[in-house]
Amino acid sequence: MATEVKLPRLGQGMESGTIVKWLKGEGEPVKKREPLYELDTDKVTQEVEAETDGVLLKIVVDSGEVEVGRTIAVIGEEGEDVAESASDADAPEADSRDHEAAVEEKDEDQTEGSSAPQMADQRRRGQEAAAATAEAEPVVATEGSTDGRVKASPLARRLAREKGVELAQISGSGPEGRIVAEDVERFQPTAQTAPGAAPPATGEAEEIALTSTRKTIARRLTEAWQAPVFQLTVSAEMTRALELRERLVARLAEGETKPTVSDLLTKVAAAALVRHTAVNAHFTGDAIRRFPVAHVGMAVAAPNGLIVPVIREADRRTIQEIATARADLVARGREGKLQRTDLEGGTFTISNLGMFGIEQFIAVLNPPQAAILAVGTTEQRAVVRDGRVEVRPMLTLTLTCDHRAIDGADGADFLRTVKELLEEPGLAL
Amino acid sequence: MNRTMAKVEKKPRAGEGLSDERLRELFREMLLIRRFEEKVEERFRAGELPGFLHVAIGQEAVATGVMAGLEEDDTIMSTHRAHGHTLAKGTHPNAIMAELYGKLEGCSHGYGGSMHLYDVANGMLGANAVVGGGLPQVTGTALAYQFRKQPRVCVAFFGDGATNTGVFHESLNLAQLWRVPALFVLEMNGWAESTPLHQHVPIEDLSQRAVAFGMRSIDVDGQDVEAVYAATREAREHAVSGAGPVFLNVRTYRLVGHYIGDPQVYREKDEIEELRETKDPIELLRARLELSDEELEQLDAEVTGIVEASVEFAKAGTDPNPEDALKYVYA
Amino acid sequence: MPELTYREAVRDALSSAMREDEDVFIMGEDIAEMGGSMGVTQGMLAEFGPERVRNTPISEMAIVGAGIGAAMQGMRPVVEIMYQDFLTLSMEQLVNQAAKHRTMSGGQLKVPLTIRTQGGAGWSPGAQHAQQVEAWFVHVPGLKVAFPSTPEDVRGLLWSAIYDDNPVVFFEHRLLYPLKGEVPEQLEPIPFGKARIMREGTDVTVIAIGRMVPEALRAAEEAEAEGISVEVLDPRTLLPLDEEAIIRSVQKTNRCVTAHEAVTRGGFGAELAAVVQGGAFDYLDAPVERVGAKFAPLAFAPAMEQWVVPHAADVLAAIKRTVARAA
Repeated sequence: MATEVKLPRLGQGMESGTIVKWLKGEGEPVKKREPLYELDTDKVTQEVEAETDGVLLKIVVDSGEVEVGRTIAVIGEEGEDVAESASDADAPEADSRDHEAAVEEKDEDQTEGSSAPQMADQRRRGQEAAAATAEAEPVVATEGSTDGRVKASPLARRLAREKGVELAQISGSGPEGRIVAEDVERFQPTAQTAPGAAPPATGEAEEIALTSTRKTIARRLTEAWQAPVFQLTVSAEMTRALELRERLVARLAEGETKPTVSDLLTKVAAAALVRHTAVNAHFTGDAIRRFPVAHVGMAVAAPNGLIVPVIREADRRTIQEIATARADLVARGREGKLQRTDLEGGTFTISNLGMFGIEQFIAVLNPPQAAILAVGTTEQRAVVRDGRVEVRPMLTLTLTCDHRAIDGADGADFLRTVKELLEEPGLAL
Repeated sequence: MNRTMAKVEKKPRAGEGLSDERLRELFREMLLIRRFEEKVEERFRAGELPGFLHVAIGQEAVATGVMAGLEEDDTIMSTHRAHGHTLAKGTHPNAIMAELYGKLEGCSHGYGGSMHLYDVANGMLGANAVVGGGLPQVTGTALAYQFRKQPRVCVAFFGDGATNTGVFHESLNLAQLWRVPALFVLEMNGWAESTPLHQHVPIEDLSQRAVAFGMRSIDVDGQDVEAVYAATREAREHAVSGAGPVFLNVRTYRLVGHYIGDPQVYREKDEIEELRETKDPIELLRARLELSDEELEQLDAEVTGIVEASVEFAKAGTDPNPEDALKYVYA
Repeated sequence: MPELTYREAVRDALSSAMREDEDVFIMGEDIAEMGGSMGVTQGMLAEFGPERVRNTPISEMAIVGAGIGAAMQGMRPVVEIMYQDFLTLSMEQLVNQAAKHRTMSGGQLKVPLTIRTQGGAGWSPGAQHAQQVEAWFVHVPGLKVAFPSTPEDVRGLLWSAIYDDNPVVFFEHRLLYPLKGEVPEQLEPIPFGKARIMREGTDVTVIAIGRMVPEALRAAEEAEAEGISVEVLDPRTLLPLDEEAIIRSVQKTNRCVTAHEAVTRGGFGAELAAVVQGGAFDYLDAPVERVGAKFAPLAFAPAMEQWVVPHAADVLAAIKRTVARAA
């Protein structure tokens, strides 16, 4: 019976060898332990002995590199038939790969479940198990990991220090809520979105992957949404405010920015905020921080999404100054050229959707700020004055408050002041 | 105790010999070891066995003869070339083959491989991959027997290369000093991997290295299983009596390379051929027993069947869980 | 409470075990008539005889190896290596053999062997008789490592080492031998893997081993005077290590100093720093400071020797660095 001669594994780690030359020809008799061919391994060139007696019926691989386990020849009895799939051995120049391809078919029949692939499988199994364990390995669990410490990496602390940012204002995205460098770098008050997204379009849906800005916004808003809030609504008659605006516009010097109702609102809100510091506040999780100065942020539509640049010390500025600052910030916002300092440190935010004709809406908090004012459009409405129906320009304002920091009375006080100041701006002096 | 230089004895004293029946059993055992080792070579070349392997083809009479001379409670420690010792000591071929395949059913449960075969229940205290590594532990094991006054011996197997290590000298010195019941069996095959004796040892007769410690030494023809047996009985008696350890200077031959796949470029082909023809312990015993072709064929078929079954057993075995690697780090 | 010196405490643990258990015996160089080069085994030959208190030749490989062999047969040998520098001669048996038998045999064997050794600078022993090498053995799976610093701890831990079914490398310190300390009336085994808070504090945790434990306590006293409250923690066993206690302490104090007499680079303090960094990252207010010997073979002349090895002053300086502020 013919036996296949397979390339043996002659050392640990040997995967293949190169047949240099055959020491016996086809048809020649061989004896067990006679040298049969010369093999080049990466260690040494050596003679490989025949493992059985017989006649070398066929040389299947003449020369070249062969994988361990491949059939390279057949030894059997003289005249025995060798399977046809073996390539023509009369072409010693032939590429050994042809032989291998043919040999492969035979191998599938003949290999008695060689477990050479099994060893490789086992190795892989060990590696995969190790990789799975490595992923699942938890950070060393420690006691007291929820003791209220602000967790921040050393790098994050340094960055925060350099930027003059309070760690408490920043939300950590690292393990266990740790603030990492990226959180500090990305820290900016997030923009507000109107509640109630548009219903999904039918037909082909467009998928917009979230930019990191959007992700941050999404995360921040989700946090904000979890705050226990209440909303207060008031409508103010804008007659005097509009008159004031017109007079200011009339007095404009050349090149000066035109003040808008928004600017007026900013000023009024700021004035009210410093009178009602309960609303000019941050909720830090374990404290309420009230500020003596009002840094009012305005929600602005920017290419990447809403941003909220801050007008610093709005209570100390004139309406004109506010207008100039506002214009600059909005312009740079639209060009994506705002600095971090433009976006940080707000104590209160105004979100104005009046230009879209929105009558009234409720804004989402901009944490850690404790309150946000939603402003609608100024429109002529029928109101009752002295028992009679009149038409007046009315503006609806809705204040959202974080109830952990602000009580209803405080919120109401503030909002009433805002209304009063809008209706009689002189009261702000 | 007599502290003069021990004499080297050339021939073991005539003790109880072996009956023909017993010799036949030993023949079968040696043939089993031979076929096992050949099968291991074959499977290794086929790419099925991880790691590296050293077979003891040509040295079967030493393993078989020594174990035949021991009692059941005696223990051994072996070297990197341990399959023969382990089989002869009583471990089933299935358990050894399964270990070579890295399966849980292996005698070391997949944790050891060829060079770390253990079968403590059968008195096999470990094959050691560090040359000479087991020697002081054999001294220590024998020390425990002495402490506890147990009539047991511990046997060390090692090769000529080991006699150059510092630990060899320390271990023999200590064993002789304390007269512990140990047997130190040198399997002198003339090769330390690829280095022939004269290239690493400046003397001819390695028994001098035991005699230097005042230890009794017996020269043995390692290809003659009867001689090995007789020497072992002799040595054991001496050791167990409290007279001290004994060195067996066994002359044997390695008929194959150091490891499977070793092309033995460092050896003369003719030499290997000649040895195969004149020093094969199985051929020698066959001639001694005058076994007929039929008897040989029958025995051969029997042991080959056992060996092939062990491969099936091993292949069907259970692969360990990767995480089990941590299981036995601490007791 | 009664008092024992550290030396007496070692002897007491050995003798108590040997009195109760025939399987316990000790061997080493010069331990019999001479009672050991450090006098630890004084009087034990008389009590237990030469079989169980065995002098050995100078054969560290063989005596550790013989210990392994006897341990595998169920005895509990305690091998003394005269100076820990000579552990180098027995490394093969300790690392390749003792540590691995259990794993290689798939759980068939146990090696309940104890290797006792000592070392320490301070008396100009020269570079080959003064090393502190405990860190090497923490790196070997299968071994356990202890390094107690008080009489009570050395007595309780040596007993536990003898009765541990794993090979234990047990470090003593030469300069601690004469130190007296209170010990419980009855020998109380101390479990491996449990640290001891030597002194409580709130500003910085000093993790010290061996001779540096009393040095750290001295430094803590001085720091107290300067208004720094120092907690001193002695792990007592390096492998297994009481990571939980260490992390808990640093979570409390927010600062950490490690101190050992061994060379700083690659010393056990590096492992401690990694453990602290991993487990108390968010609690650290300053980098972990490591105190150890300077990186040189120990010179002979007393002035040089004393400069190389650390003292209380080094621990104090490290403590101060952890609480330092910009000028």
